[in-house]
Amino acid sequence: MKKILNTLKEILRVIGIAHRGKITEITAYEERELENIFILLLLGSFSGIPSPPAFIAVELFPYLQHELHILEQRAQAADDALSELAGLFDID
Amino acid sequence: MKTIFFTGKGGVGKSTLSAATAWQLAERGENTLAVSFDPAHNLGDIFGVKLSDSKKKFKDKLYLMEIDLEKRSEKYIKDNIGLLESIYSYLKPFNMDRYFQTLKYSPGIEEYASLTAMEQLIREETRFDFIVFDTPPTGLTIRILALPSVTLAWIERLKRIRREILEKRYTIHKIRGKYSEEGTKLAYNEDDDMVMKKLKEVEERFFRLKSFLQSDDNSIVVVFNPDFLSLRESQRLIGGLNELGMPFRIAIDNKICRENLQRAESIERELLSDSKATLLRVKENSSYVSEKTYIIEENLSDLFAQ
Repeated sequence: MKKILNTLKEILRVIGIAHRGKITEITAYEERELENIFILLLLGSFSGIPSPPAFIAVELFPYLQHELHILEQRAQAADDALSELAGLFDID
Repeated sequence: MKTIFFTGKGGVGKSTLSAATAWQLAERGENTLAVSFDPAHNLGDIFGVKLSDSKKKFKDKLYLMEIDLEKRSEKYIKDNIGLLESIYSYLKPFNMDRYFQTLKYSPGIEEYASLTAMEQLIREETRFDFIVFDTPPTGLTIRILALPSVTLAWIERLKRIRREILEKRYTIHKIRGKYSEEGTKLAYNEDDDMVMKKLKEVEERFFRLKSFLQSDDNSIVVVFNPDFLSLRESQRLIGGLNELGMPFRIAIDNKICRENLQRAESIERELLSDSKATLLRVKENSSYVSEKTYIIEENLSDLFAQ
């Protein structure tokens, strides 16, 4: 009996994760893009856009691993940005 | 504590006048520190002593110091590279860490080092009544003095983006909450986010410096000579200072003699037409500097000490 209850709980939990994942999908996408923009601004001088004084970037770098990771991912998926958007909005 | 910045074109006599001012202030009993920021230092030559990056007592109430910008930029880079290397230490096997050394050559680091040195002096040396700064020629001085404003504008923008990121993270965390592991790893609170913390820290430091530079405790002196090149450059300098909200209060017309008195008058008129600055004339050869004596006829200290 306890086993069945636990399985049921587990199923509900997974459904919960899926639902919550689904409704925050767009916000998460936006957040990722913002972080991408943030790190891109700091690294602007490398890509030719005006950038803040170099020392701001130098002071912040140690804490930006996560953002650098996102930047790298975005760069890899750069030629496929449309399909990611299509996926996000359930367009077939 | 009050600060005095001597600015102007190269060769107009900033160093001599700043040294004379520091000397006279010390003679009046004010605790004075004279600092040279000009990479081509000659504060030491004026007083006939060898100076270094740490302050040296010249006589009672007079301390001297020459800022070594190269050493300071190197130290700054070394501290930060050290931190970077310890965090990205996994790059060591690939010898990637040496690429961080490239930062040494990034533009603006030297100005930043000057500004940091200036900020540190203003913050730490409060036991002095006066700090007299001898600045490098116009262009660099304006760039250094503009740095706080430029930096603050950038930080404001970066903070706004960061805040938006944190808000989104918070939303995601609230909904996914304990159901997700990845969402809870990232900081979503402004006080926990190291990036935000660091941004605020830098902002605070620069804001304090900017307000000090704009306050009444800071006097900017524009030194010029009675010639047209000096006039034009001084006009640009004054324009730049006004834009930064750091109006100059004192103008010194240096190297005046009988032959150029007329020209001096017309140049002074043109330069000071729409400003309330106090004008002082210093005669040619009125300062005589050697290892033992230091004489300047005009009284400079009256301009600053009440």
